[in-house]
Amino acid sequence: MTPKKEKVLPEVNKTFVMTKRSLKSLVEGLIKDMEVVGVKSKQGKYVYDKIASFEELCLDYDVTVTPPTKYLRPAKETLLKFILGGKSKAEPVIEAIPRAIIGVHPYDIKAIELLDTVFMSANPDPNYIARRQNTIIIGVDCLNPSPKSFASSMGTNLAETGFDLLLTDIGTGYMVTVGSEKGAELLAKHAQVREPRGNEIAKHKAVRDEASAKYKLSLNVPRERLPKLLEESYEDPYWESRSETCLSCGSCVMVCPTCFCFDVKDEVALNLKDGERLRQWDGCLLVDFARVATGENFRHTKASRFRHRIFRKGKYVLERYGRIGCVGCGRCAIACLAEIASPVEAFNAIAKSVQAKEAALSRGREAKPETELYIPRLAELVKVNELTPREKVFEFRLQDGQALGQRPGQFVEVSVMGIGEAPISISSSPTRDGTFQLAIRKVGDVTNALHNLKKGDIVGIRGPFGNGFPLETLEGKNILFVAGGIGLFPLRSLIQYVLDRRSSYGKVILLFGARSPAERLFLDELAAWSKNPQIEFHETVDVGDESWKGNVGVITTLIPKVDIDPKKTLAVIVGPPIMYRFVIVELKKRGLTDENIIMSLERRMKCGVGKCGHCQINGVYVCQEGPVFTYAQLRNLREAV
Amino acid sequence: MKPKVAFFDFTGCEGCQLDALNLDAGEVIDLLNAVDIVNFREVKTERADDYDIAFIEGSISRESEIPRLQKIRAQAKIVIALGACAGIGGINCLKNHLSMDEARQIVYGKDAKYYDTIPARPVNAVVTVDYYVRGCPPVTAELVKVIKALLLGKKPDIPNYPVCVECKMAGNVCVFERGMTCLGPVIRAGCDAICVTSGRRCWGCRGLVNDPNLDSEKDILKKYGLTVEQVVEKFKIYNTYAEVTK
Repeated sequence: MTPKKEKVLPEVNKTFVMTKRSLKSLVEGLIKDMEVVGVKSKQGKYVYDKIASFEELCLDYDVTVTPPTKYLRPAKETLLKFILGGKSKAEPVIEAIPRAIIGVHPYDIKAIELLDTVFMSANPDPNYIARRQNTIIIGVDCLNPSPKSFASSMGTNLAETGFDLLLTDIGTGYMVTVGSEKGAELLAKHAQVREPRGNEIAKHKAVRDEASAKYKLSLNVPRERLPKLLEESYEDPYWESRSETCLSCGSCVMVCPTCFCFDVKDEVALNLKDGERLRQWDGCLLVDFARVATGENFRHTKASRFRHRIFRKGKYVLERYGRIGCVGCGRCAIACLAEIASPVEAFNAIAKSVQAKEAALSRGREAKPETELYIPRLAELVKVNELTPREKVFEFRLQDGQALGQRPGQFVEVSVMGIGEAPISISSSPTRDGTFQLAIRKVGDVTNALHNLKKGDIVGIRGPFGNGFPLETLEGKNILFVAGGIGLFPLRSLIQYVLDRRSSYGKVILLFGARSPAERLFLDELAAWSKNPQIEFHETVDVGDESWKGNVGVITTLIPKVDIDPKKTLAVIVGPPIMYRFVIVELKKRGLTDENIIMSLERRMKCGVGKCGHCQINGVYVCQEGPVFTYAQLRNLREAV
Repeated sequence: MKPKVAFFDFTGCEGCQLDALNLDAGEVIDLLNAVDIVNFREVKTERADDYDIAFIEGSISRESEIPRLQKIRAQAKIVIALGACAGIGGINCLKNHLSMDEARQIVYGKDAKYYDTIPARPVNAVVTVDYYVRGCPPVTAELVKVIKALLLGKKPDIPNYPVCVECKMAGNVCVFERGMTCLGPVIRAGCDAICVTSGRRCWGCRGLVNDPNLDSEKDILKKYGLTVEQVVEKFKIYNTYAEVTK
């Protein structure tokens, strides 16, 4: 004889067991009483929408396209109605109907808790509160998270509060946790529940544990550390580089459950008498979000908007409201066509960058010394060519048989033992064979000694050092090379690199200026470039002679001759300091932004590894952060140009 | 005094005018209470040369249209480009990819010599444009919005964000996730993403946002399987003019 089933009265904060049939009667009961919205499938994805029957409801889903928060803060709503002229007071408009939202995942429950804090504490928002108080939230545990979700890292994969009822599918039925009096009443009215048995309690825990093991993405630092990490990374180059492909399309903020910013505008009827004040979703990622009427835009770059959004998610919202601004749902990462929006990726990148800096600073006594730091590798001179009586190009091969592994724009420290060591930029591209070339003007002790070397002689090489040219940024762009005199030496490495990978770039223009025809460098290459149909090449000399048939004048006189699309072109300029000043003015006249003017600086250097202090410009070490900079980076460095 | 409004058509299908005042009866009466419509070929035969606000429909594609447009500009206090052809050049500019002789041959055959033609261009390539009512066809609500803003003495509030914003507000599944490609990420919103919401995709009829990241959009289109030529074709349809003048 089976024991008689006792009718259990659901209590708050307790978990019961309910059959699927009982859940159906709960949902159908709700449909009779109020508007019921739930998760439905649409075009292969999931969305929240009105449901008319239990069968439409989908409780096992990964993530919805947009979050359920749209029922609490609709995309557009009227706040006020008024009569133009201001003679009568504006009337508030509050639209709220009783509504149940079924199938809310814990991360969205957490997002709603954040919205509650934002809109229901200091300056409580009447429209939000009216809707919130009319809303019943029936959550469901997420058992098959989206591959873009990282809710477990944000502590939002489970919810203890913020719902009226919370369901967990345990296969044989549902566990239902009661989160409020209202939830208890609903169960009592529409469903039958019973106390769970031991195996069901175990199963409840097991399915949750299994689900939390399914998250593919995770935060690599404790989330408590995010505000501090972000604080330290405000100037990190990550923001600029990662936001390069940002479309400013706003998809990330439009699908975010924790985004709550809005715009307010008046709309007037055609009778020009009746008006309404509306609010609609807005987002800090959109171009005009911080633009004021005078035209000033306080976050006018993609990078500043991109950074601001991530700072809100990991820092600003948390500090203001005490709740994390990102619940790890992954919707922004799914919506972002440029694939850059995921906060977890930004958080991890920043953590890595900050940790690398910290590790560098804290190695201290335990640090293992880099025993080879100051020891040059030996390299054999395999070929010498005289360019002019003052300049030669030397081709070296490392004796250990390895390639140098340079990036165009990097430099090496070259030693002639007994004479000394000097920083020399690398003139050849890594895309050429296993040797490397250094073009050197004879100006000091070391370079004089180098000029005396013969094939087979040995020098010391340390490096390559420095950042090199921004190859990733240059990819796909039009490039304007401007080389003045021996500025061609470092630039040649990049010119070769670009020519070897010509199809990866747009239009390529090369301008070269020498003081006189006798000081022209790499004559064979100049001749080849002038015939190469894949590049546009212009040359000038400051002062001509009877042999010279070409342009005469300083290099800036070439710039008006070329057709530049300022939006798509990056200028890479290398030459003497005086040249930079005039070329920059000329390029800016042609519409190039400071970010798109790239230059390589020369400084005295004794170590190449950020220690000796010689190359420092204000706080910047040229051998570490340089020698390649954008003008945007340099314009505020007082000693730079 | 009610402002006098005139509509003028240049090269186009005249669909903008047809759609322009597709209002319900009450709104038409409200509109006529607010403005005097003095020129409107599709609704009235009388014409007047005295007007304050000129709506220009169509792109400029013949030499003779230039002085005509300049005369309108000189008379009107406010010039508004109506629709894609007037605003961004629109599909008329597809012919700009041909030589003008070829274009004339294709259209007029043996009578080609009787017709002049120049590369098609938007109104703002010839005269200053104060405001735009965008789209192909333009959104009637936007036309009314612009008129209301002018009557109230404020700038019409036309979005400078892309269609994605309104598409997400509408709760749509992204076109790219449905196996198609879309220009929405760089095209100016204001249409409520009507094409995507009705199951299609954005063709770009409202023109580009002010500072579009075209490089990124093109890379994305390629990532989703389009060839370089297909990407160009996609932009050509409505945005030839913006592209070729870059």
